Amino acid sequence: MPPKTQSMPTQTTLDPVLSPAAKASTPPVTGLVAAGVSLRSVTKRYGDFVAIENVSLDIPAGAYCCLLGPSGCGKTTALRMIAGHETVSGGEIVIGDRPVTHLPPAKRNTAMMFQNYALFPHKTIWQNIEFGLKMKNVEKAERSRRVDEILDLVGLAHTAQRKPNQLSGGQQQRIALARALVNRPQVLMLDEPLSALDENLRVRMRSELRKIQQQFGLTFIQVTHHVEEAFSLSDQIVVMDHGHIEQIATPTELFNKPASQFVAKFIGDNNIFAGKVINSIAQPNGQDLIELDVAGIGTLMCRGVATPNGSEAACSVRPDLMHLEPSELAPGSMLGGAENFNRSFARITDVELTGYVTRVSLMLEATGQPLLYKTTTTGWMQANLQEGDRVAIQWAADDCVFLPY
Amino acid sequence: MPKFTRRRLIQTGLAAGAAIATTRCGAQTDAPVGTPNNPAPGPEVNANKMKDVTLRFIGTGVAQINDIRDKAQEDLGFKIELKALSTEENNQIAITQPGQYDMFDGEYFSLPLVIPSGNLQPIDVSRLANFDKIVPFFTTGEFNGMPVEKAQGTAPIKVMYLKDKDSKEFSATPTNWATMVPFQYNADTLGYRPDLVGREITSWADLFDPAFKGKTSILDIPSIGIMDAAMVVESAGLMTFGDKGNMTKAEIDEITAILIAKKKEGHFRAFWKTFDESVNLMSSGEVVLQSMWSPAVTAVRSKGIECIYAPLKEGYRAWGGGIGLSRSLEGAQLDAAYAYLDWVSDGWVGAFLGRQGYYSAVPENAKKFMSAEEWDFWYEGKPAAVDMVDPFGATLEKAGAVRDGGSFEERMGNVVVWNSTMDEQVYLVQKWNEFIAA
Amino acid sequence: MYQPWKTAKPYFLAAPQTLVFLMFLVFPIAMIFIVSFWQFNIYSMTPAFTLDNYIGVFTSGATLPTYLNTLKYMVLVWSLCLAIAFPVAYFLSFCIQRESLRVLLFLVCTIPFWTSNIIRMISWIPLLGREGLVNQLLLNLGVVSQPVEWLLYSDFAIVLGMVHLYNFFMIAPVFNSMMRIDRTLITAARDMGASGWDILKEIILPLTAPGIAIGSIFVVTLTMGEFVTVRLMGGGQSASVGKLISTQIGSVQYPLAAANAVVLLLATFALVIGILRVVDIRAEL
Repeated sequence: MPPKTQSMPTQTTLDPVLSPAAKASTPPVTGLVAAGVSLRSVTKRYGDFVAIENVSLDIPAGAYCCLLGPSGCGKTTALRMIAGHETVSGGEIVIGDRPVTHLPPAKRNTAMMFQNYALFPHKTIWQNIEFGLKMKNVEKAERSRRVDEILDLVGLAHTAQRKPNQLSGGQQQRIALARALVNRPQVLMLDEPLSALDENLRVRMRSELRKIQQQFGLTFIQVTHHVEEAFSLSDQIVVMDHGHIEQIATPTELFNKPASQFVAKFIGDNNIFAGKVINSIAQPNGQDLIELDVAGIGTLMCRGVATPNGSEAACSVRPDLMHLEPSELAPGSMLGGAENFNRSFARITDVELTGYVTRVSLMLEATGQPLLYKTTTTGWMQANLQEGDRVAIQWAADDCVFLPY
Repeated sequence: MPKFTRRRLIQTGLAAGAAIATTRCGAQTDAPVGTPNNPAPGPEVNANKMKDVTLRFIGTGVAQINDIRDKAQEDLGFKIELKALSTEENNQIAITQPGQYDMFDGEYFSLPLVIPSGNLQPIDVSRLANFDKIVPFFTTGEFNGMPVEKAQGTAPIKVMYLKDKDSKEFSATPTNWATMVPFQYNADTLGYRPDLVGREITSWADLFDPAFKGKTSILDIPSIGIMDAAMVVESAGLMTFGDKGNMTKAEIDEITAILIAKKKEGHFRAFWKTFDESVNLMSSGEVVLQSMWSPAVTAVRSKGIECIYAPLKEGYRAWGGGIGLSRSLEGAQLDAAYAYLDWVSDGWVGAFLGRQGYYSAVPENAKKFMSAEEWDFWYEGKPAAVDMVDPFGATLEKAGAVRDGGSFEERMGNVVVWNSTMDEQVYLVQKWNEFIAA
Repeated sequence: MYQPWKTAKPYFLAAPQTLVFLMFLVFPIAMIFIVSFWQFNIYSMTPAFTLDNYIGVFTSGATLPTYLNTLKYMVLVWSLCLAIAFPVAYFLSFCIQRESLRVLLFLVCTIPFWTSNIIRMISWIPLLGREGLVNQLLLNLGVVSQPVEWLLYSDFAIVLGMVHLYNFFMIAPVFNSMMRIDRTLITAARDMGASGWDILKEIILPLTAPGIAIGSIFVVTLTMGEFVTVRLMGGGQSASVGKLISTQIGSVQYPLAAANAVVLLLATFALVIGILRVVDIRAEL
């Protein structure tokens, strides 16, 4: 999956979706101050069921943070607790420097954008955006000014008198965003904001969200189960599973160094080998060289933090960091002289050309484990290999990530 | 309107079946009357044919009783289907849906409405076995010179006969063609709860006694309710009538005005429309004095609540029920219907209904089927020698009790007005609605 | 290729419904309309075209008070039904979380329909009558020294009876509307600082309006044509258009009854159209 993100053409050929005002370099909307969010040992229980267990997390002010995980991992519950729509069973939530654990939603300086946008179907677009200001008793003239301003900003001033169901999905999304922003929150919470859109629109809206976040300088916390979305949007990704945090990382860190088997699997396509630690060689940079004994394959070398010998562990290699060569070539010849590398034999079972990238399915000769290899389509053409061929696969220990659990 | 609709008078209902009813009605009018001119064909032949006959019999709840049907089927050998209706529904079906019945058990006062529809066929009096034994105020209008002979309203004798076998006009004098054969009848008056009234009720005027304000009731059926009201206002000296049974518009205006005034004073607790309602009103004590039907009084008493059916000095208001035959009857069906008419007058039914307080059209036959004690109590006005038990086994009166109002002659002889259909019926209903709306 | 069956199929499929509709709705109403122009006397009616019946309706002293009385019942019953149904439906749909309990309580609302109309009406007597339970209680408590007469056979009793009968027709559509409200709308409103009262006024009430409109149509049409409850609970002393028509039918004055029925139908139509103009019920259909 990473190559897809890296070479995504839509990002460079994106249509301008924001109004000219929105593209101005200085934010036109005043009064917005970002705040950081901290969760301190937060727990949420529903009876006997523990939805969130002892979660601690610091989201810096002005960051775009994605809570990423499969459904039921607790990410939405966490978001709703930060917004104040869910009580907290234990721990503390701090926004900026204010503890808000027991404050009602409206007193937290947060705003939430809902998965289905939750626009009031009986109110006009204008009334929808005005609603929060009206509830906070903002004076009428001021309300009017701010609603018009934000409508201009999202480029939908002409829809002011329409009802939500007369707008397209993308327009509705922008109105939902406008309705949240008009209240000048310090933190904006987004619950799967793009899931209701089709693929093309999703990509456009993704970039729009990112732009607005940067322009306003707000803290955005977004829930998503979509890895690509998290990668493309975030400054910080929080991977969650079963009510606890698996990894907190930047997209690059997550991409290069998944912290666990769950993360490696969840971000997709990684080739994972499970085995036992048999040897660790400490390195000054903390990237210890670890040897794993993998049944059927033998010893694999990888980098990570040493754990005691005999521990159950695994290692992972990205499909684009493996090297394929006809089996008759000498070992290591394509690894640019890497000192430590892993080598095994496999057969090509399928070749799938997806555009810039070609995906090659392999079956490990020794164990029958399926593996994935990705290369540029141009590179593949030059390799002159085809389905059924027996190949040697090699990858450097430096590209192989040790997964302690 | 298209031509054909003007061609003739059409009686029709609002129901979807109206079109069918109309066609049938027209066809019957054009066809020769089905009554054979040869009376009494061979009885054996008929008896066989009659076995397959089913007669559909509509009427009010009084005589639509399964026990009577079962006995009739047993004695006569053919089938009878009963359909019990309210007085109003009964008339509506008789007039608008002639295909729905073979025999019609209706009240004499409804005949001015039913007969012009042509849905009933005149009854050949000479074919009836017991016609000469019928109480004379039905057949000749006479009754020992007693007040009933001069009673106002739609007295049965006024609508008893038709001029001819094809006529729809009533004959003032007896002919061979009867509209209905009288069946059961009674003299109605006021019923009251002696425990709550605290004195004897002797006059219709007592209904307007301010002492009973908010505790009285009358019938909410215009044709009947107006007669009770007329008895009341007349005996209270509030107004006089030329003929209570056929009021003028001015009289209707006047009596409605009086009723409206009384209603606004809150003199009435409620108006009733069905038998059960009158029983509930009386037994619950909501009403202590109201116009009532005889068996309703009995029903209250059978709950152990004292209730008197007051003999009033001004006399009674009476109603009479009879059986008419549908125009569509012919052949074996018609023979069966005549056989039924004879059976009804034969005494068994008279005795059956007599045990509930109704009178039979042929008392001498009913007497044959009643015990001497029963006859003495119900007809002679003598104290009950034994407990009086109704046909369903309930004890109505303990030994020693005397029928309110006394003997048959004292009661029926003192009828001064019959239930009526007036010439100003349409106006009456309109004014009655104004009274209800006031 | 021309396929006659394919062309005719939809018509065949729609035919039974259409026939039922024509036979049991359009035909009877057309019949009533036609008969309302016929002439009649006490014995018979004659097909003709006369406006006498309508003139009769509009000149009769009974018409105006009767219609006003019917309207009075309608307004009272409608407002009481709404006043009761809204909180009940709100409680059922927003306060009860367990689905099974909600279904159970909703069924409880249908209890008034478990017995026949007549039995229901009769059983009011021992409750509200002069010697009924309520009067006994009031007398025993010393609240009154004489039995309260207006509990039964009065406008109060009529309105009570009709509210008892027709409340469910308001509860059901209002409840349905409330159940269809997306709960995230309420979360969103709360997120934007709306109080409970704000949410009720700004979100729930407007979104329940179509349900209220449908319930109102039920209650208004049912009350406008009502005659059984009016007769039994009013002790026959109170007038309604339905009762007026039933008296006319009982006296075999069909054309007059038909003219009244047409006027009532038009009046009811006007009310329904009024409701539809105020609230767009398409959302519920």
